[in-house]
Amino acid sequence: MTTLSTDVVVRRPPKGAALDPFFKILCFTAATTLLAALTGIVVTLAVGGWPAFHKFGLNFFTNTNWNPVTEEFGAAGPIVGTLVTAIMALIFALPLAFGVAVFLVEFCPPILRRPIGIAVELLAGIPSIVYGMWGLFVFAPFFAQYIELPLMAAAPPGSIWETLTTGVPNGDNILTASIILAIMILPYMAAVLRELFLTVPVQLRESGYGMGSTTLEVITSITLPYVRRSAVGAVMLGLGRALGETMAVTFIIGNSHDLPKSLFGAGSTIASTIANEFNEATGEMHTASLIALGLVLFMITFAVLALARALLGADKHS
Amino acid sequence: MSTFRRTRRTIANVSFTVFCYLTTLVALTALALIFWTLFSKGAGGLNANIFLKVTPAAGSVGGLANAIVGSIVLCFLGMVFAIAVGVMAGTWLAEYGRNSLYAQLVRFVNDILLSAPSVLVGLVIAGWLVAPFHGFSAFAGGVALGLIAVPIITRTTEDVLNLQPTALRESGVALGTPKWTAIRLIMWKAAGSGILTGGLLAFARISGETAPLLFTSLGNTNFSLGFNKPWFGLNQPLASLPSAIFSFAATPADDLVRLAWTAALLLAVAVLAANIGARFLTRERRPS
Amino acid sequence: MNAMTAETYEQFAVELPGDQIKMHVKNLEFFYGKHKALHGVTLPILNKGVTALIGPSGCGKSTLLRVMNRIYGLYPGQKAVGEVLLDGENILDHKVDVATLRSRVGMVFQKPTPFPMSIYDNVAFGVRLYEGLSKSEMDVRVEESLRKAALWDEVKDKLKQSGLGLSGGQQQRLCVARGIAVRPEVLLLDEPASALDPLSTAKLEETIVELKKEYTIVIVTHNLQQATRVSDNTGFMFLGRLIEFGPTVDLFTAPRAKRTADYIGGRFG
Repeated sequence: MTTLSTDVVVRRPPKGAALDPFFKILCFTAATTLLAALTGIVVTLAVGGWPAFHKFGLNFFTNTNWNPVTEEFGAAGPIVGTLVTAIMALIFALPLAFGVAVFLVEFCPPILRRPIGIAVELLAGIPSIVYGMWGLFVFAPFFAQYIELPLMAAAPPGSIWETLTTGVPNGDNILTASIILAIMILPYMAAVLRELFLTVPVQLRESGYGMGSTTLEVITSITLPYVRRSAVGAVMLGLGRALGETMAVTFIIGNSHDLPKSLFGAGSTIASTIANEFNEATGEMHTASLIALGLVLFMITFAVLALARALLGADKHS
Repeated sequence: MSTFRRTRRTIANVSFTVFCYLTTLVALTALALIFWTLFSKGAGGLNANIFLKVTPAAGSVGGLANAIVGSIVLCFLGMVFAIAVGVMAGTWLAEYGRNSLYAQLVRFVNDILLSAPSVLVGLVIAGWLVAPFHGFSAFAGGVALGLIAVPIITRTTEDVLNLQPTALRESGVALGTPKWTAIRLIMWKAAGSGILTGGLLAFARISGETAPLLFTSLGNTNFSLGFNKPWFGLNQPLASLPSAIFSFAATPADDLVRLAWTAALLLAVAVLAANIGARFLTRERRPS
Repeated sequence: MNAMTAETYEQFAVELPGDQIKMHVKNLEFFYGKHKALHGVTLPILNKGVTALIGPSGCGKSTLLRVMNRIYGLYPGQKAVGEVLLDGENILDHKVDVATLRSRVGMVFQKPTPFPMSIYDNVAFGVRLYEGLSKSEMDVRVEESLRKAALWDEVKDKLKQSGLGLSGGQQQRLCVARGIAVRPEVLLLDEPASALDPLSTAKLEETIVELKKEYTIVIVTHNLQQATRVSDNTGFMFLGRLIEFGPTVDLFTAPRAKRTADYIGGRFG
């Protein structure tokens, strides 16, 4: 045991100690890369879009004429199209996602709870181009034949019904794009909502049931108030996805740059316009206008996402 | 009076229950329909040619070999970039930056990047790496995918490192271990399966991304890679499954549309496999 | 001792002969940000002996321990003022290399923290940092360390297995073995038995008594019986002050400060 006498050990700094500061700098650099990337995105979009903002000014947002031939670019159509499709998708998806989440938490037989829960989460990861293809080849033709045509035929002349259903009956329109978007964000929102509902302490819910409350009453007076802000945050996250989604929409929105006039009318979104035109942009002003559109999309989603994040962290129950 | 109220409550509750069952049924039906279509239309085209031949010229038999290889290469490039930056950045947030003001800023920025529209990433990378070099390239596509994957990996790395007990962190340091050695040999190891999960999730996400590739790697009807080519062909436009789907689906040619369905099926299966793998890993060894 | 604290808190400390002191804490003050956690603590640590620190939760005993190998330095905002002499050298000095210091002053934590690697690698981990031992030399070192930690017989057939697979008590003794493998001079134990069952605790205590033949040990404990069983000297702390310090037997049988008497009599804490 004398070998372990402490006095003989010569103390040197441990191996690799000299590299310690470099590792820290490396990690710091990586973290800063994220900041630089976001800054780079904003700056690139702003600089690239500047000629368009400079030339068209506020008209860029209000003019509905997007014409590469005359080099006149008004983005009101795509901007409104983006907002309309995203909000309509949210209106379709929210009740469904809510119903699915409540079903999974409150009604689902225990045997099915895990499989359905996992299925919903897995579906949230399916690439959007798959949804886009399904929309293009399956849903749009079906919609045109069995819903669009009958509805247009049955519309009384001069009614609001007729106004809402004008368009080419080929299934490529604002409504079908919104429905595909809704199907796409549905699993995502259902998964997030379910996770939120599961954060409600069991005792809290049980004490509600213990007082003789029905499931509906427990949901409305205990679960929802408990996760109120976070739930709004989750909805905003879904909206953010719908706003920036490209592939699910591009195939079936019809690609018209006019303001959407009816549910069955063709339209466009910012993302679909960029996807369709960027590579074939004819002139510098066309490219600049597309990049300017990109900046507008970034600002919209940034606002929505920042709000969503702020709300998601807001329900602090200690 | 009280029976009336009870009846009303019961009716409301029953309607609500029915509503929840119905919505679940509708949602699951819609999603099942999509999958059924995907399998029925995609599985028929699955044969050896898919994996052996490249994009067909009009009228001839072809496959997805170039697109499959291209997708793998693009994802690989993206993941190398994303893991290098993401693991380091996540480590900085969890081990160095913690609650400092700068760390909070980086965390917020990461959240924004996490859900920024991917089409914009493509647009910006095109501005950085395509326009200045006068051409679409596999390299640009890889960087675009990497930029989409980085925030996912950063987030999971930080989360799993934070899950590790403080005492583990301290006991490494208490041995006199230099911090970076402790992080590499103890913290990363302890958090290993979690970080791998993040990597799989990121891979699942980028393998299906289409929009950012449209303006960067574009697509290619031939094999553009090769060990004997300058830059291994990474400076050329590169085929990929998503871009193949995008261009094939828009054509009136039936055989190309069939290929597009098969490509979509392959893509969906790959993404599902990665997601299931990630799920399996988290269940296997959840950090205590 | 200044008049203020002497008024508010009666303090008693036995002096040790200088040549028996391995580590000497002098007038140590500690801050968590603006909060002052230690108020002028002075404490001699007996060379090759066990010094126990007792006191109610939040009295600063763990804080004091965490100063002795500067582990607090991990956290920005924590600050120590005063002197902690290790063989006469002030370890709070900025010039001291903390990694080397920590190899001289090891630490074992409340909860067992085996590294995610094999039992062998756990023990060899620290040694590899400091010494370039051959395979056979390392084998000897690992065995020695595990023997001293009274773990060798239980693990000698499964050295390649993960350290995470051991029981709580075994894990804690593995942490002790890991700590002594780098041949530290001082070993700091922060409530090492608080997460263990009585049997494992007894085993760990035997190990501690065995280890003090070669090492200087400082142990923080909630368990007063444990302090009487293993320690030579005991310090009683209260609200960030060292109220009483002296030979363990004296402190427990004839406490001089009223607060010490109250605490060990079970009247508070």
